[in-house]
Order: sequence, then structure tokens, then C-alpha cells
Amino acid sequence: MNPGGDPGRSGSPAPSAISTPPDAAHPAGPAHRPPADGASPPHDGPGPDFRPPAGGVGGPVADGAGEGARKAAAVEGRRRLHPLTPLLKGAKFLFAAVAAISWQGYAQLGTLVFLALVGVLLVLGVGLSAVSWLVTGFHVVGRELRVYEGLVWRRTRAIPLERVQAVDVVRPLLARMTGVAELRLEVIGAAKTEAPLAYLGVEEAHALRARLLAGAGHAPAHDPAAPAAGPERPFHVVPNQRVLVANLLSSPVLLLPVALAVTLLPVLFDPPAWTAIGVASMATALLGVVLPPVRRVLNDWDFRIFVDPSGVRLTHGLLDTRSRTVPAHRALAVAVVRPLLWRPLKWWRAKLDVAGVGAEAGEQGVRGGVLVPVADRATVRTVAGRVIDGLDIDALPLRPVPAVARWVSPLAYRRRAFGWTESVVVARDGWLTERLIVARLARVQSVRVVQGPIQRRLGLADVHVDTAGSIHVTARDRAVAEAYASAATLAELARAARTAT
Amino acid sequence: MTDVASPNADPLAPWPDDVVWRPVSGKLILVEQVRLAALAGTAVVAGAVLWTFFDGLWGWAAAAVAVLWAARAAVVVRSVRSWGYAERPDDLLVRHGLLVRRLSIVPYARMQFVDVSAGPLERSLGLATVELHTAAAASDARIPGLPGPEAARLRDRLSALGETHAEGL
Repeated sequence: MNPGGDPGRSGSPAPSAISTPPDAAHPAGPAHRPPADGASPPHDGPGPDFRPPAGGVGGPVADGAGEGARKAAAVEGRRRLHPLTPLLKGAKFLFAAVAAISWQGYAQLGTLVFLALVGVLLVLGVGLSAVSWLVTGFHVVGRELRVYEGLVWRRTRAIPLERVQAVDVVRPLLARMTGVAELRLEVIGAAKTEAPLAYLGVEEAHALRARLLAGAGHAPAHDPAAPAAGPERPFHVVPNQRVLVANLLSSPVLLLPVALAVTLLPVLFDPPAWTAIGVASMATALLGVVLPPVRRVLNDWDFRIFVDPSGVRLTHGLLDTRSRTVPAHRALAVAVVRPLLWRPLKWWRAKLDVAGVGAEAGEQGVRGGVLVPVADRATVRTVAGRVIDGLDIDALPLRPVPAVARWVSPLAYRRRAFGWTESVVVARDGWLTERLIVARLARVQSVRVVQGPIQRRLGLADVHVDTAGSIHVTARDRAVAEAYASAATLAELARAARTAT
Repeated sequence: MTDVASPNADPLAPWPDDVVWRPVSGKLILVEQVRLAALAGTAVVAGAVLWTFFDGLWGWAAAAVAVLWAARAAVVVRSVRSWGYAERPDDLLVRHGLLVRRLSIVPYARMQFVDVSAGPLERSLGLATVELHTAAAASDARIPGLPGPEAARLRDRLSALGETHAEGL
């Protein structure tokens, strides 16, 4: 996209000069500690001591290779994660271990053994994390982010910045208490979040995010205003009370009493022994029922939408603050949804697929792709227009389905509609929950026509437009001839859109 | 329920004028029949095991299996004939299905990789299955029952086209 953009970012000798140390440094495992060059600057400054100028690149190599490598390293040193990382990761490990032992184990072991075990695990966890912290490093080389990790199995990952879809700054509760942040990269083609850099100082995380996005060609390079979340005014702030009401009106919450009854009734009819195990298992079951909606509210709390030249930035969360940037031209598809109970309030919700984000939706749940948790149509329209260039969700060429479709779907057929422009394909559907799904033609993977037996009697067929994400455009119940014609047209348009970008 | 009559012959072979549809090998019928027989055999064995517990049901279960097998075996021939594929300059078309008819249009540019696979049965008849993968899980571009040389030719052609058209996501 921007192949000539290197010089400004890093001196041209840098990539070649830097690319040698990692390979050479591999056998020299834990050589990161800089005491070898005792003259290196004092490291006990207040904050940024994880940025050793030269020693971090691998002491012995610098000794051997001499000035060249040292100079290059000064241009772009290999950086460490935040020094608090081992403690935080150790704590995480401890939680996981305690969860694995579970209540049952606790009851069997007794308090003393349990505490001893926890202590051992804590030391073990922190120790392991410390080693991993020592051998983990990263830096930006030319147009790549390189991440080094592993003591025994060394791994160097080079992530081309062009393939970065989105960069999230995530701050889980523990990280927020200690003033650090985690950086997550969404990379094209990666099934899950690639290379989470945990943890970095908050400012460093924001600076790195801006830098990576600039490298990916999303933002004006080195925009010093980008990192800070403070000064710019959000385009839209979702009122918290609205998030609360909207979630109360969502079907999972309305089903909550039923779920609670199902969980509690067996307990009432057949009271378990009131032991620690019984209580704990019941509490776990209750948590499983109550937690998801609560988590959604917490997650959508204080939802701010920033619109800037690089795209749309979302920050949200009460306990875990997330900041996600959706580059303007990397969205695959947008779904605008109106649940049944939001209808009187005229509220809408929008979901988004950016390849990486959508692909990990499975483990992340819906929130992975929330674009707007709840807002009026006009706001959703503007934000959607920013994510997919020039999209106006109120002015799409939607054509209704033929009247025979009512034999297949008597209730939804009125809402079913399908259409396309030169850049997007759109389908509307849904009886109780109205859904408008828009996908960018340039990102279409394949087009399918499927016709079931009843549809064949009625002369209807479905058109599926597949994208890589979890949001699919499905035009149900089109007339057969039209379905095949539109499939052909869409394949053609998608090709045109693809070559145009 | 399978309806033979599709007067315009449209759904199974759209665009008859400008698209040359190629059929898959007729030997696939044999493969499918053997597969079906194996399935029926499994059902019979399962039924026999059940029989030791419920005697009365045995006859009915056997009859049901027999009927299902006969019905399916009769359809297999036409089902195999319904497979077809066409290579257009920019995309691959695959169609199949009798009860539920499917047509997939997969642009070469979207191809991520090509799988060629052959089970023992297919291999003994010199057949192979070619499958085109895109980034979308729903893309459905699988062509079974291709003769070995044709499968190799298709694979090479697809990967060559994929390279020339290659793009990201």
C-alpha cells in the first residue's frame, strides 16, 4: 500500500542490521540481562527501564558484532514488556490453578495444605512468568512487528503491519489496578487474536497502537494526538442508563426468571446437604445464569464512539476497559439489529465484522463485534457510514420478495428484502427481530444459491453471500430466475469491487 | 417426495448457454452405493444388538432400514449425476443436490488452498475429491468423484489461478 513509506519510520539500514541479532541471539538464550556491558545507562529510572538502549538486543552479539549492530539497535531497540508483568501473570496463573483445584479439592485437602499448595503455585507461577518475561521482547522493524518469546522453544513472529486489522488496548481489572495495559492485534487470516502483548505501560501501549496503525496505513503517520484518549471529543456516548434498560429488555434477561427457576427448583425440592461443596456448586450454577447479562452491561458501560480519519474507535467497559480501533476500509460486514422489545423505544444495535474480530467471536461472544450497543437510528446510520465508506443504511436499494414467499414464511416475508449497490450487498430479514445486514462486495468470498424442495415447488431460492466473518448475508426466498441472475451479477460486481481496491 | 419434474431444467444447470458444465465420474455411483450399503450394514448390526433387548421391534427396524436403503439407492444415481462443475475465467462453479439444490460461485482470487483427498474406496476406483477452501467457512466448493488425472489437472489449474489472482482477505 505504501511501500515507499519506510525511510521516515526507520533508517534504511535498520531492517537489515537489526534482522541479524535475533537469529544470532537464539542460541544465546537468557542473554538479555545487560550486566555484560556494565556501562549501560542506569536502569532504575522511575518508569521506562524496560527499554534498554542496546543491551536488550542481546549482549554477546553486540559484543561480537561491534558497533554496527549497536548503532542499529539504538535506532529501534528491542523492548521488554512492563516489569510488573511477571507478578500479574503469576497472579493469573494462580487464579487458574485455584479454579482447577476447585471447591471439591479444597474440601478434600483441608485449609492448611490448600494454603501451602497455593503458596507453592504462586512462587512457581511468578517464577515461570519472570523467566518468560526475561526472554520476551518485541520491536518494530521496518514494516513488521517482531515478537520474540520462549526459552526452550524459541519463537520469533514477524507480523507485517499491512495485515493488521485492528489494534485493541485492553485493560483487565488487575491491569487497571496496576496501571498497565494489554495490546491485542487482530491480524488478517489469524484465527484468534495474534500476539497479545501483555503487559505494557498504558502510555506505551497507546503510543505503540498509534504507531502500528500508522504503519498499517490507517492513520496519518506518527500523529501525536492519536494516543491520548482524553482530549478528543467522542462522536457519541451511549448513556449508561440506556445500556441498562436495553439489556433488561433483551431476551436473555427476560428469560432469567425461567433460568433461575430451573436452577433453584431442584434445590428446593431436593435440598442438598448444606456442605461447602453443595453451596459452592449451587453458587456456581447461579453465577452461570446471572453472569452473562451482567457481564454484557459491564462490558458496554461507558461506551464511547470516536470518529476520526483513521476510522472508528470504540472504548467501553466498566471493569475491563477496552479500546478498539476499526480502520475505515477493513470492515467486512455490518449488521443493524432491532430486537422486538426495543421497537417502541426506536433503538437499534449494530454489530461489526472485522476479519480478526469476527473470527474470534466464538470465544469472545457477541461483544467481540459490537459496534453500537444501543442507539437511535440516526446515530447507527452515521457510525455505520464511517465503518463502510459511503454506506447509508436508510437509502439502500431493497427489493421485496415475491408474494408466493408467504407460503414459506408467512410472517417474515413482508420484511424480507435484498439488494446491492456497486460496493455493498444488503439483505433485510426477521420477523420479531429485524435485521439489516450489509457486506462489502470487495470482501465477498463466494456466492451460493440454495433451493430446498418446497421452494422448488414455489419457484423460489435463497442467495447466500459468504464473507469471512460471522455475519452472513442471506437473501431468502427470491424468485428462481432472479436468484441466479443476482448471483451472477454479484459475482461479477464483487470481482470489480475487488480489483478496484 | 423427490420431484423429478423441473421443466425449465434451470436450477441444476443455470446459464446453459455460456457455461460448460462438466459431470463427475459415473464411478462415484458405485462409491456412494458401497458407502450406503456399509451404512445400512451398520444399522442392521445395531438393530441386531437392540434385538437382544427388544424382540418385537426387530422386524420393524429391519423393514425400515430396507425401505430407506432402497429409496436412497434409487436416488443415488441421479444424485451423483446432479454434481457438476464449470471453470469460468474468474471463478469456479459447483452445483449439486436433488432435494436441496446448491450452486456455489467461488472466485479463484478468494482461494486459500486446495485439498485433494481420496478414501480407500475412491482410490481403488481411481477417484479423488477436490475441495477449494476460502476464508469463509460457508463456502461450499467440493467436487467429489473426479478421475485421478482430472483431479490433478484441476488442482494444478486452481492453484495456478489462485496465485495469479492472489489477494488477501
